[in-house]
Formats: sequence, C-alpha cells, structure tokens
Amino acid sequence: MSNNKLTVVDREGSTHSLEWEPDQTLMEALRDNDLPVLASCGGTASCATCHVFLEKEVFDTVAERSEDELEVLAEAEGYQECGSRLSCQLDFSRELNGATVTLAPEE
Amino acid sequence: MSSRQPTGNGLNPIVIIGAGHSGVAVAAGLRTRGWGGDILLLEAEKETPYERPPLSKELLKAGAPDESAVLRKEKFYEDKHIDRRAGLTVDALDPAARTLQLSDGSRQGYHRLVIATGSRARSLTVPGAGLPGVQALRTRDDALELKRALVPGARVAIIGAGYIGLEVAAAASARGCEVTVLEFQDRVMSRVTSEPVSRFFEQLHERNGVRFVFGAAVTAIEGDERAERVVTADGSSYPADVVLAGIGVVPNQELAACAGLECRDGILVDGDGRTSVPDIYATGDVTRFTSSIDGASQRLECIQNAMGQADRVAADITGQDAAEPEIPWFWTVQHGVRLQTAGVRHPADEVIVRGAPADGRFSVVYLRDGRLAAVDTIAGLTDFRPARKLIVRKARIDPLLAADPGTPLADAAFAAA
Ligand SMILES: Cc1cc2nc3c(=O)[nH]c(=O)nc-3n(C[C@H](O)[C@H](O)[C@H](O)COP(=O)(O)OP(=O)(O)OC[C@H]3O[C@@H](n4cnc5c(N)ncnc54)[C@H](O)[C@@H]3O)c2cc1C
Ligand code: FES
Repeated sequence: MSNNKLTVVDREGSTHSLEWEPDQTLMEALRDNDLPVLASCGGTASCATCHVFLEKEVFDTVAERSEDELEVLAEAEGYQECGSRLSCQLDFSRELNGATVTLAPEE
Repeated sequence: MSSRQPTGNGLNPIVIIGAGHSGVAVAAGLRTRGWGGDILLLEAEKETPYERPPLSKELLKAGAPDESAVLRKEKFYEDKHIDRRAGLTVDALDPAARTLQLSDGSRQGYHRLVIATGSRARSLTVPGAGLPGVQALRTRDDALELKRALVPGARVAIIGAGYIGLEVAAAASARGCEVTVLEFQDRVMSRVTSEPVSRFFEQLHERNGVRFVFGAAVTAIEGDERAERVVTADGSSYPADVVLAGIGVVPNQELAACAGLECRDGILVDGDGRTSVPDIYATGDVTRFTSSIDGASQRLECIQNAMGQADRVAADITGQDAAEPEIPWFWTVQHGVRLQTAGVRHPADEVIVRGAPADGRFSVVYLRDGRLAAVDTIAGLTDFRPARKLIVRKARIDPLLAADPGTPLADAAFAAA
C-alpha cells in the first residue's frame, strides 16, 4: 500500500481519517480533503494558516524545521516547541503513517 | 446545508471564468461548503491551473524544473466533480439572457456567474516594444521563455523596479546575467514601500551586481530583428539581449464592462464579491472594492486577496457565513531575502524604522493618525503577526516605543486603543 493513513483532529475537536498520497505535502492532503486549511500563501511558509500540531513521538522522527518555518511558527497562535509544524513544509513520509495531526487554532 | 443549495437538479451550473488563484479557490470553496450542483470552470490557458508567485522566483533558478507548482492536482477536479475546460475563452456575456459566448462557438447558460479573469501585464507602448526579445511576465509560458534567455553573460534590461522586475533582476543576476534595471521613479518599489526599504533592497541588489538607472524614461526599444538596446529620454542607450517590462498590470475587465457591469479600473464589487448585476460575482485581481479597514477604494494584486475574496463569494453563493476579511498581505523574495508586508501603506504615513537595516533584518511600521496602518518586515517575521492584529484593531502606537526593536510591537500599542 502506497498511501499513509492519517487521523486529523479539526478545530472543533472532531476527528477525520484520510489518506495522504505520496505526491502531496501534508498541507495539500489536508486541504484536498476539505479540512479548513486556507493555505493563503500557497505553501511557501509565509502565512501559518496551515499550522498543525504533531504528537511528540512523531514530531521527533520527522525532518527538522527550517529557519523560515521556525520563524513563522514562533509567532503563530498556540505555538508548541515540540509539536508545531507548517504542514506545507512536510513532505510525505512513512514516519507519519497512522499519525494524528491536530489543526492549530485560527489566528 | 442551506436550502438554497441545489443538488444538480437540472439547473444551469455555476460558471467560473478564469482558473487562476481566485477562480480555483471559488470552485474548491463551493465544494467545501457543500455545494452539490454543477460547477463549470472555464480557462483560456491550456495547462493545469498553476501557482504564479514561483514564476518570478523558484522557476527562474538555474536547474529548477520547468514544471511549475499546480494549484490543485488534476485528480482534485475529477474527485470534486469540477468540470474544468481549458484552452477556452469567454468572449461575451449577456446578463439579460444569462448566457456566455465561448471561443469554440458554443453558448453556455449559468445559474450564478463568477468572473475571476485576473489581470494582465501592462504592455509597453514605445516604438520597438513588439520586437522579439521584449516580453512581460504573467504566465508560465512567459516564465519559460524568460528562463531560456537567462544564460550567463546575457544582457538583461528590466523596465520597472516593482516586485516582478526586482524578482527577475535577482534571478537573472544569480544566473550570471548582466542586469540593468531602468526605473522612472527615484527608488525601487516606490509605489508599495517607503524609502528605507527601497534603499535596503537597492543595496542588496547592487551587492549582487544589479545596476539601477533611476529617473529613466524609456522611449524606444531598438534592434534589427530582435531587441538589441533600450533607449531613454536623455538619449542614453542600454544594450540588451532580453528586455523585460515589469510596469504593472491592468484588470481583465473588458468582458464585464461590455456587458454593462460597473467598472472603474476593476470590476466594482461589494464585500461579498457581488457586482452591480444580480447573480454575477467577481473576485481577485480583476476587482475593485472598498477596504473594510480604511474605507479606501482599492484593487489588490495578491494571493491573499484572491483567496479571501474567493471564500466570501463561495460563502455568499451557498448562503453561509464567510471568515472575517483578512488584512491584505504580500511577500516577495529577492536574493534570498524575504520582504513581507501587511496592510496597505499610504505615502503620507509616518514611517518608523525598527532595528538597523545595516544588520540585514529590520521592520518598518507605518502610522496613520497615530494608528498602525501597515508594516514591512525584512528577513524576519517577528513583527508580522502581531502587526496584523494591531492593524485590525486600528491600534494607537507610541512612536518612541515602536522605534525600539527590543520592545515587542504589541507593547508599543497604547492600552486604551
Ligand atoms: C510572476 C508573478 C509573481 C507573483 N508573485 C506574487 C507573490 O509573491 N505574492 C502574491 O501575493 N502575489 C503574487 N503575484 C500576484 C498573484 O499571482 C495574483 O494576485 C493572483 O494570481 C490573482 O489571482 P486571480 O485569480 O485574480 O487572477 P489570475 O491568477 O491571473 O487568473 C486569472 C485567469 O483568468 C483567465 N482568463 C482571463 N480572461 C479570460 C476569459 N475571457 N476567458 C477565460 N479565461 C480567462 C486567465 O488566463 C488566468 O488564468 C504574482 C504574479 C505574477 C504574475
Ligand atoms: S500554506 Fe502558508 S505557511 Fe503553509
């Protein structure tokens, strides 16, 4: 099986399960599955409208945040040092199979 | 689900003209908001709708792939039952009959119409502007043509020191071209930013080998078969293998204007994207509207506006609430340095610099009647998000505190705003 399965917790606390396809960033997987991710900068680490929280164990296994990403995130609502990611900066990765992703609060 | 939503029961589709950032966002937004009826997305260009910002940034880099980022994957349109027809222009609109005339000769009725035709590059009108080698940058084809011309040693003349001209200047100099930017004003990005920011970017470009000529009024492009040089009013002439005109955009409003929709350098719309004609909406670069922040009449050329308006149109059509209008914001990247702007600056605003431009990282805040109106952040975003909130609140700012980069911007706002 080539896709990753994800559980997404939206801002109301409801859970959704979806499949993340290998040619998508996490932001695209969320957005194309109708989750309310505005992605108003088109995935260029500028807007933080794609901000998500990962569980600590998962967070520790994925590639580190770039300086740009960190800077955008540090100013975002509810920033978590060991959890916040810009979903547009996360490429498909096996480590995230079965993970739970929580949408950060809107600004 | 609202009772206004048809389920595809024989009604005409919602027709969206233009599959750019805004048109695609309307289509996607209608589905997200539960619209079950037909959606027809008509687009003049042939390929899968794509992102424009990378065209003057990533795409021009040496070794970067020619495929540009798409807005949504092909499959998205299938999955969402969005009927997308590419390579087709809408030539005329008849609001009384609620029909469109398409370039393939057919006619198309609509239930609601959304005009998202965007803008086009303003064309250069001087003699020689039509010579091969003279071009604008708006579409993917434009970008690929330009990319082919940006070979090491190529002489690149850029007319206009706005965002596009400067992004191309950065890309071209990085590729070893000899770059000259000809600008009528006396500084770069003069329409959108203040002197300190202009000077910072000028120096950044100059350090990277870009040459500026200010006060330059281009009067002709000369060359036998291709552009060979650019001539200015003072008689100077600048040799060029490729000439890029980055002199602004004009809204693609003709379709609407001919059909009697009210236009004034943009199709006039209200806060929900409604035009002067019932059941016709317009969104994105092609619109002009009254700012909910400062009451100014404006036309914005940015992704944020294209997406925000699209959401309000989709909300209005489906009878739902839209998110509060966002503060307009914009970004550009030149020589790897990011300039991010929130709010719309007026030339008369008080300008306060936070931090030292010499450090390569600073912000500029703009006060109007003592209240925060806009911000520019250079190579740092620390002030960006707090500023956006303060702009919404029309917060009064203490200019002395605001000038101190060590004081968080929010702390420079007077408590009783
Ligand atoms: C090179 C470049 C770089 C940019 N960089 C940035 C940036 O960094 N940040 C930012 O915020 N903004 C940037 N912009 C601006 C941004 O791309 C626009 O604001 C945005 O694309 C506007 O979206 P739109 O949907 O209104 O129009 P567009 O994206 O222009 O889409 C309009 C579409 O309508 C089609 N069309 C027009 N007339 C017809 C017709 N009669 N029939 C059928 N189809 C028609 C056109 O072919 C076009 O595809 C950039 C623009 C360019 C060109
Ligand atoms: S989409 Fe804007 S930061 Fe990710």
